[in-house]
Amino acid sequence: MSDLSTLLKAPGASIEAEDDFDAVNELVRARGWGDGLPVIPPTAERVERMLEYCDRPWNEPIAKIAPRYGDATPLRLAANAVMAGCRPEYFPLVAAAVEAMCEEPFNCYGIQATTHQCGVLILVNGPVAKELDINSGNNAFGPGRQANATIGRALRFAQVNIGGAIPGLGDMATFGSPGKYTYCAAENEDASPWEPLHVERGYPRDASTVTVFSAEGPHNVNDHEALTGEGVLKTMAGTIAIPGANNIYYDGDILVVFGPEHAATIARDGYSKADVRNYLFEHARVPVGKLSQENIERRIRVWPVFEGRFANAGPDALVPVAKRPEDITVVVLGGAGKHSAYIPTFGQSHSVTRPLKRRDGAFARSVEDFRRR
Amino acid sequence: MAELRRRGLITAVVCSGPFVKLGRTQARVFGVPDLPLIEIQHPLGGISLEQVRGRADVAAARFLELLREHVK
Repeated sequence: MSDLSTLLKAPGASIEAEDDFDAVNELVRARGWGDGLPVIPPTAERVERMLEYCDRPWNEPIAKIAPRYGDATPLRLAANAVMAGCRPEYFPLVAAAVEAMCEEPFNCYGIQATTHQCGVLILVNGPVAKELDINSGNNAFGPGRQANATIGRALRFAQVNIGGAIPGLGDMATFGSPGKYTYCAAENEDASPWEPLHVERGYPRDASTVTVFSAEGPHNVNDHEALTGEGVLKTMAGTIAIPGANNIYYDGDILVVFGPEHAATIARDGYSKADVRNYLFEHARVPVGKLSQENIERRIRVWPVFEGRFANAGPDALVPVAKRPEDITVVVLGGAGKHSAYIPTFGQSHSVTRPLKRRDGAFARSVEDFRRR
Repeated sequence: MAELRRRGLITAVVCSGPFVKLGRTQARVFGVPDLPLIEIQHPLGGISLEQVRGRADVAAARFLELLREHVK
């Protein structure tokens, strides 16, 4: 306790408030710190309990969150995680998600301040997902589990309270998205016929990772009729091929989520993940004639390839949504049902994966590895 | 732009109305709270070239004023 007491004496590190749930929530509302829903008051005792699962110095920033470039110290993150309703054992994931979000390829400034609607989707892989009961099955993007509900909410609080993504001030989203309340799920690795995302990205299967995406809400892809992998892929490609998402205009990655039943059909017909990416790259294309003339003119100005390939190719020429097959991220998630999902992104952003690692550099095998002894 | 300002160059950032608050906040964050912001009419997207020229004329005139003030 002495560590925390000392830290809380620093100017601005803490504020006095009445020891009353409603009074604290009124204060949070008045300061614009929350998301409009009630929060758990971040008392010193609760923050210290949260920090039991932090193996780093509590006042050393692990990242700076744009657009305010506020210091994301474990202490500040812990206060936000408490407010969001996290259990202490979730804290290593919150910290890893913050680090991932602040890596250069993710373009934190852009995703925070943009007029686009994107929230930050946290996708969890590895054994920690089960350890923390993170939903990867039925309704995984919806409500029901504490981990999904509060880990994503804690990241959002960090974006607002540390990063300054205040609506209309540092978050200029035209209308935002429900995914900005919370957006966290685990890949359904047991139901996937393919290697999970973290293995595909070079991590051991028994390592745990978080991957962040600058994500729109999931757009459902219903196909109850297709009997072949190609049939399912055709429906997915047709859903991706839309002229209004940012992805056709920029070169970030997109996220394709297959429900387990669709994934099984596709894999049964011999498609690897690479084959899926190649198919979608070739077929998820938008006819030039579906783009407004002004958009075509802009594409010609900003993307030299467009001029050479499409400027005079006629309205039936097909523009790829992803610029490379590798920019299509494929995961398996969800429960029973003939549904999949397409998740467009901010476009000027690449997803980032961070492993859960102990301070000595070893992959964490459990969140208990972070517990202070 | 903040870095150029710190080096003493004459600088300004052009913002459409709804982005002025963000611009002011960013200028403070980057340590140049006096960075001039030139406000133009919103929006910038989905307007004709003629309307773009109109906004550019407003911004250019204000930037000329800044230059003249600096020369004084």
